Amino acid sequence: MRRSTPLAIAFVAPAMLLLAGILGWPLISAVILSLQNVRAIGSGGEMIGLSHYGKVLSDPTFWGAGLNSLIWVVANAVVQTILALITALALQQNFPGVRIARTWVILTWIVPTVVTVIVWRWLFSSSGGMINPLLMQLGLIERPIGFFNTPATAMATLIFINSWRWFPFIALMMLAGLTRIPSDLYEAARLDGANSWRRFTRITWPLLAPTLGVLLVIGTLLSFNVFDIIWLLTSGGPAGGTRTLPVLIYETAFKSYNLSEAATISVLATLLLMSFALLATRHISRSEAT
Amino acid sequence: MRRSWQMNIALTLSLVFLGLLILLPFWWVVSSSFKESQEIISRTPTMVPHSFTLQHFQKLLGSSDYPVYMLNSVIVSTISAIITLMMAVPAAYAFFRMRFPGREVMYRTILLAYAFPSIVVLIPLFGMFVRLGLVDTLTGLVIINVTFALPFSIWMLRSFFAGLPSEIEEAAVMDGASTLVILRRVMIPLIMPGIASVGIFAFILSWTEYVFTSVLIVSDAKRTVPVGFSGIIGQYQIDWGMLLAGASFAVLPVIILFSLVGRWFVGGLTEGAVK
Repeated sequence: MRRSTPLAIAFVAPAMLLLAGILGWPLISAVILSLQNVRAIGSGGEMIGLSHYGKVLSDPTFWGAGLNSLIWVVANAVVQTILALITALALQQNFPGVRIARTWVILTWIVPTVVTVIVWRWLFSSSGGMINPLLMQLGLIERPIGFFNTPATAMATLIFINSWRWFPFIALMMLAGLTRIPSDLYEAARLDGANSWRRFTRITWPLLAPTLGVLLVIGTLLSFNVFDIIWLLTSGGPAGGTRTLPVLIYETAFKSYNLSEAATISVLATLLLMSFALLATRHISRSEAT
Repeated sequence: MRRSWQMNIALTLSLVFLGLLILLPFWWVVSSSFKESQEIISRTPTMVPHSFTLQHFQKLLGSSDYPVYMLNSVIVSTISAIITLMMAVPAAYAFFRMRFPGREVMYRTILLAYAFPSIVVLIPLFGMFVRLGLVDTLTGLVIINVTFALPFSIWMLRSFFAGLPSEIEEAAVMDGASTLVILRRVMIPLIMPGIASVGIFAFILSWTEYVFTSVLIVSDAKRTVPVGFSGIIGQYQIDWGMLLAGASFAVLPVIILFSLVGRWFVGGLTEGAVK
């Protein structure tokens, strides 16, 4: 490690300035905007204090969207983690083609979201879609289901689609955690006569737990921010059943043209997310220390 | 490693399940884009096409603006990837090989920026871009894409720099090489896999970006594939054939790129998670 401050600053400055300009400054603007009364972009506003915060916090739509976000984040975390764990454990094994599988497993993540949306909208649709005929053939349902027609099924379908997109990404991170576990631990356990289930519960699981914790946090933050999949498939409907906070922000700003109110919801969402991130990382670093 | 037969069955089952889960949707889309329209919306879907036609692709390339969207996407994604690299490589080198004041704070800020809810800055950013005249320009999109690609890119390059033995660098210092020369002549050639990984990451991120593009781009001629494409979805009568052909096409460049450097990309991703 060498000391060469001016050069280091020159190396870091462009990236930091861009982040400050495109993320930092707009974030400050969002706070200012939330204290003003602005509707259209570019039109001036006057400072009106915290009244937007009062309005948003007493609005059931905000709490409804908050609850949807909570369901969305928790359900996605659970589904993604389970699928990712199965994937990571499978890819950890040696089998013919494992190298190709480890690379191409991420296919669902590198494809544009819009394509993901089209693929699944078509597969779930009641005309020509594959899911309904498949479920009927398996005898699970009698009539085709309108997956996007009720709030509960729409939410469940979106959670499935989003998890499908993200689980391979999480799985690869988990695989990295798995390869870090020393193989002589497994050898020793095998000599002691431990079967594969015991090796999993006594070695893999405890040693993987810190990685899982970190990935749950990353997964939660990433899921919270998901907007395009929801917007393109249901636009928050039906009956607001899939309207999460990012959808509400977008609607408030670009459908009802209430910029200040949208900024207020943004600021509240950021506070929520950042306090979660802070608490979670603190908890993780504490559990790693022990 | 030897496995018991129960493990082999479990492994086979989970691989089949995962393979179907990931590949089947793509198979249906690509194979169906060659089907006649009636077969696409048939009540009893077919796994293997019974009919074969190129009409959806002809329609897509002939009578829609799809080729323009593709060109815009290629331009924006390529430039975004190059600029991301030009900014991320020196920054990552400074963060992980040099000492300077504010290093820790800045590094934490970068990690925070990765998890940042991007929709929050959408509104103020739009106002800012209006004043700067960047709305409805591809330049605006490049700026956005680079910003969102940077935090993860710097973080990903960390593992590649960390993997280099410091002796190589020390030897170069002994020979009297300056930092710039070391970076250009010694480090960059050694972290080529890392550079490829970050480049492909930034490219994919730009290729798939939808939200900001949909707000910042107004005219049809400036649209990228995701936004141009969603314009077709929103229409009343859905032309599934054309959409499926478009979907197949939108996947193609990423697949080609990924088959060239995907191995490095995944390596960088997993190593980054470990260290």
